[in-house]
Amino acid sequence: MGPGVTDTLLYVYAVTDADLVDAEVDGLSAVDDAPVHVIAEAAVAAVVSAVDAQRFDALALKRSLEDLQWLEGVARAHDAVVSRLASHRPVAPVRLATVFTSTENVRTLLRTRARDFTAALDRVRGRCEWAVKGFVITGHTAPATSAPAPGLSPGRSYLERRRAERDHRAQNQHEALTEAAALHDQLAQLAIASRQYPPQDRTLSGHRDEMVLNVAYLLPNGEESEFRQVVDAYQGRHLRLQLAGPWAPYSFAILEGDQ
Amino acid sequence: MTLATPRDELALVDLLDRLLTGGVVLTGDVTISLAGVDLVNISLRALISSVSILVEQ
Amino acid sequence: MFGRIDSDPESVGKDLGRVVLTLVELLRQLMERQALRRVEVGDLPEETVENLGMGLMRLEEAMADLREYFGLRPEDLNIDLGPLGTLLSHPDGEMR
Repeated sequence: MGPGVTDTLLYVYAVTDADLVDAEVDGLSAVDDAPVHVIAEAAVAAVVSAVDAQRFDALALKRSLEDLQWLEGVARAHDAVVSRLASHRPVAPVRLATVFTSTENVRTLLRTRARDFTAALDRVRGRCEWAVKGFVITGHTAPATSAPAPGLSPGRSYLERRRAERDHRAQNQHEALTEAAALHDQLAQLAIASRQYPPQDRTLSGHRDEMVLNVAYLLPNGEESEFRQVVDAYQGRHLRLQLAGPWAPYSFAILEGDQ
Repeated sequence: MTLATPRDELALVDLLDRLLTGGVVLTGDVTISLAGVDLVNISLRALISSVSILVEQ
Repeated sequence: MFGRIDSDPESVGKDLGRVVLTLVELLRQLMERQALRRVEVGDLPEETVENLGMGLMRLEEAMADLREYFGLRPEDLNIDLGPLGTLLSHPDGEMR
């Protein structure tokens, strides 16, 4: 490596309004326990901390991202900073592992995209995110006849049982999907915006049941009671619901032209 | 029956969903493609490497 | 499945068993699905259908024995066909 190589990088957590000062982020615990500080430029401010360049350069990052333990540490630290800020100001959380080599580069970024950042912040000002997940309830999968049908040979009988179970599962699945779609329609009307995510992989989430609904809803801060009532009042027999929130607006603070 | 998750019990998979696929995408000074981060592969690799360590013992 | 695999000798076999049986169970379920579809086409002789059914039934019993041997419950073999599941599923309600 040549001269002039920085041994620390700046890890960016989020962007917010320029009125944020260092004192407000004092004591926030960040990645590698470094202190969090503020870089303000134009009408916006980035929330950053210093991280070890050796652990965050391109090569190291690629390897680290495959280390689940490391990834978990960074993700929780990142979210801790974001959620603390989001509790009292509009925040555009930045994606994980976004690092810069200098304060000047961060300033340049803020300056050149100030308008986009401001638009994103306006979209989430005074708002937060609530997540609804729906799982297929498989409790009642036993079909009416689980005993071998009279007159059938054992092999046939087994196949017949399997077929009935399969059809029952498919029917159950269908009902659950229908209920999920209806619920989403209802919730989307109560929310400012919604964003649908693909169901989470069971290997990762550890959920036993199949996820068929995974949506983020944008709601005004503190005004989630009607929304929660709809979720709580759900009476369908095929869906198990899970509500989580409030989250910082990860799903909604997006810049124009982002993928 | 629905549950609102307390903040201290946030599921890792929910956090990773938001931090790896949500949030503002900026071109930082270190370019890595998070789109290439396949969480299923991470989990499986962790599982496989744990198994191979055990087998070697 | 985020959990670490114990290095405790007792559970080594169980953990490896879980990995192997998960794959075996996946194959068993796929075979059953294929068999059901084939039988539904309706062109197989009765004896073939009977043999198919008996074979699958024995396979299921063998699987149950293996699970018991390793002290695993059915839900320990967490099957999610993922993208494969999508490939096999059919919009009009055929088995997912």
